[in-house]
Amino acid sequence: MTYIVFLFLVGLVLGLIAVASNPSPYFAALGLVVVAGMGCGVLVGHGGSFLSLVLFLIYLGGMLVVFAYSAALAAEPYPETWGSRPVAFYMMVYLLGVVLVGWALWGGWYEGSWVSSDEMFEFSVVRGDVGGVAVMYSSGGGLLVIGAWVLLLTLFVVLELTRGLSRGALRAV
Amino acid sequence: MTPVHFTFSSTFILGLTGLAFHRTHLLSALLCLEGMMLSLFVALSLWSLQFNVTNFSAAPMLLLAFSACEAGAGLALLVATARTHGTDHLQSLSLLQC
Repeated sequence: MTYIVFLFLVGLVLGLIAVASNPSPYFAALGLVVVAGMGCGVLVGHGGSFLSLVLFLIYLGGMLVVFAYSAALAAEPYPETWGSRPVAFYMMVYLLGVVLVGWALWGGWYEGSWVSSDEMFEFSVVRGDVGGVAVMYSSGGGLLVIGAWVLLLTLFVVLELTRGLSRGALRAV
Repeated sequence: MTPVHFTFSSTFILGLTGLAFHRTHLLSALLCLEGMMLSLFVALSLWSLQFNVTNFSAAPMLLLAFSACEAGAGLALLVATARTHGTDHLQSLSLLQC
C-alpha cells in the first residue's frame, strides 16, 4: 500500500506540473482531472474513504465539468500541448525544481508512510471521517448555515455578473 | 517532513507559480487556482486523518463549498469577458477599447 501511495503522490506532482506549465486550457483541465484522481487515491491510502468519495463526486462531477465546458470559450486554432516547445521547457524546469528540492530535503524524511486514521477500527461502527463529517450537521450547524448562505450569495453574484444590458454589475457586457 | 507533506506543499507552490508566471488565458489562471484549492483540500484532509482528529473532517467539506463559490465567480467573470472582448486572453483585457 505504501508503494501505491507513492505512485499516487508522484502522479499528483506530475499532474500539477502539467497544469502549471501553461498549455492550452483543454489540456490543463485534463491535467486537473488527473490531479483530482490522484488526490482521491492518496486520501484512500490514508483511510479517508468518504472524503475521497466527496472529492471524486463533487469535484470531478460538478466543478470540472463546468471547467471543461468553459474551455470552449477559450478555443484557439493552434492549441499548445505538452509536446510543444515552451510548454515542454516549463515542464522540465518545474520538474527539475521539484526534484532538486526533494533531493535537498531527502535526509529529513523520517518515514515513508504515516499511520492512517482508525487504528482501532474493529471497535467502531463508522469510519472516522464519516463520523467527522456528520459533526457538521450537529455542532457545526452554524458554519453549515454560513456555507449555504455563501452559496446563495454566489448565485446572485454570478447572475449579476453575466446579466449585462445596462442593469447588471458589468454594464459593458 | 514525510513525502506526503512534501507532495502537497510542492503542488501548492507549483500552482502558485503557474498562477503568477503564466497568464495567457484567464481560464489557465483559474485552473491553477483550482489546483491550489485541491492541494489545500488534500492537506486539510490528511491533517485530520493522520492525527485522528475526526471532528476536523468537516473543514475540507466547507473548504470545497467555498472553492465552489470561487470557481463560480471566476467562471462568471470569464463568461463576461468572452462576451465583451470575444476572447479570454489576458493581453486583450488591458486594451482601452472593447
